[in-house]
Amino acid sequence: MSNKMVRKANAFEIINHWVLAVSFFILTITGFGFLFHLEQLNSIFGSFNSMKVIHNWVGVIFSISLFFTLFYYLPQALKLSSDDIGWIIKGGGYFSKSAVVPPQDKLNTGQKLFYLLILLMGIAISISGFVIWLMPGVKNWVLLSHLVHNISFDIMVIVVPVHIYLGTLANPGTFRIMVYGTVPIDWAKKRHAKWVQKMGF
Amino acid sequence: MARKALLISPELCIGCRGCQTACKSWNQLTGQKTKNTGTYENPPDLTPNLYNKIRYVEIPSETNPVRWLFVNQRCMHCDDAGCMKICPAPGALFKTKEGAVDFNKEKCIGCKLCVAGCPFDVPRYDEKDKISKCHLCSDRIAEGLQPACAKTCPTGAILYGERDSLIGLAKKAGYEKVYGETDLRGLGALYAFKDPPKLYGMDERPAIPETVMFWHKVLKPLAYIGLGGAVAASLLHYIAFGPKKDEEVKKDE
Repeated sequence: MSNKMVRKANAFEIINHWVLAVSFFILTITGFGFLFHLEQLNSIFGSFNSMKVIHNWVGVIFSISLFFTLFYYLPQALKLSSDDIGWIIKGGGYFSKSAVVPPQDKLNTGQKLFYLLILLMGIAISISGFVIWLMPGVKNWVLLSHLVHNISFDIMVIVVPVHIYLGTLANPGTFRIMVYGTVPIDWAKKRHAKWVQKMGF
Repeated sequence: MARKALLISPELCIGCRGCQTACKSWNQLTGQKTKNTGTYENPPDLTPNLYNKIRYVEIPSETNPVRWLFVNQRCMHCDDAGCMKICPAPGALFKTKEGAVDFNKEKCIGCKLCVAGCPFDVPRYDEKDKISKCHLCSDRIAEGLQPACAKTCPTGAILYGERDSLIGLAKKAGYEKVYGETDLRGLGALYAFKDPPKLYGMDERPAIPETVMFWHKVLKPLAYIGLGGAVAASLLHYIAFGPKKDEEVKKDE
């Protein structure tokens, strides 16, 4: 065992991921407030009027942050191969202690698919949000956007908790990427063999 | 309290627009400049300062070359109100004990979703981007008075009273079907139409947009069931399979 660390995320990636995560949290909380008239949230956001302003502008931050993810996740997420099919067949190795999954890239299959899903839903929820915000009263556009906004919201509130679980409790050693950006090389070899190999270790 | 309503009878209306004026007077709504477009209908549409208006419909036929319909147009005070269903701000739209759909401008967040949710194209927004529409003179009826439009109507074309007795009244007068009796769980503005509603410029079957109903019935509950389910499934997985400890992760050799 060597103690050598290898960098998996740079500072910009880490900060951007936090911006995306925190804005998502604020948008989800305020979104639930609007959906279910949670007046208790007034103690945090003041009133529904100010909550709307916060929801809209945090939405802008979310959209910008989502845009920046394109540069470092999308090229990796699109590198799908037969190893990814093998990963899916094995359920990512999450349903058996003895499961061995095919070697993975810098992002594993689950991470690739999760990113593609978040990207699509994020684009849908951003555009529909801007339509509701900036084209108020245009009945058919608002109705369509209201539907799209809520469908993508539902999908995100289902997949994001699973993403958080897999990045923390389920895979010890993963969360430090969001803090330090580095992982032990042996840890990386086991989980991202193709990536480590490409780097020449 | 028994639900209150308006009974509007175009057959009795003489198109004097006293209802428009009385409404403006009581609710202190300013006038506006309009252009003569060759019709008595004026202003041409509801505005944030015009809560009700008479729609003039000319229907010339061989038997009656001058048939002219006058239809009072306003918020219908639906029991199952699309505006209230879609509104994200609690208290911005609310029901009075008489069954009127009233609003509170201070609670309104100006998102205009109610415009999309209304089956009758009623809600308007004032210069401060707050909702503005007929509230059945909620301040008057709370004191046992009639709404200004009904009070001023000289021919009884707009009657205010208990909803059930108004329906009875219309049926007694020979109207088999009262428009709004059952639509949207019953409207608070009932119409005694002699002919199909379409002739009067009304939807045969007014309804809340289907996307709004789907959102209300499926997407809304799915938001918390989905979130709760995802958290529960993660915890269950943790209990059943546990974490992927580093020493347990095997390499594909």
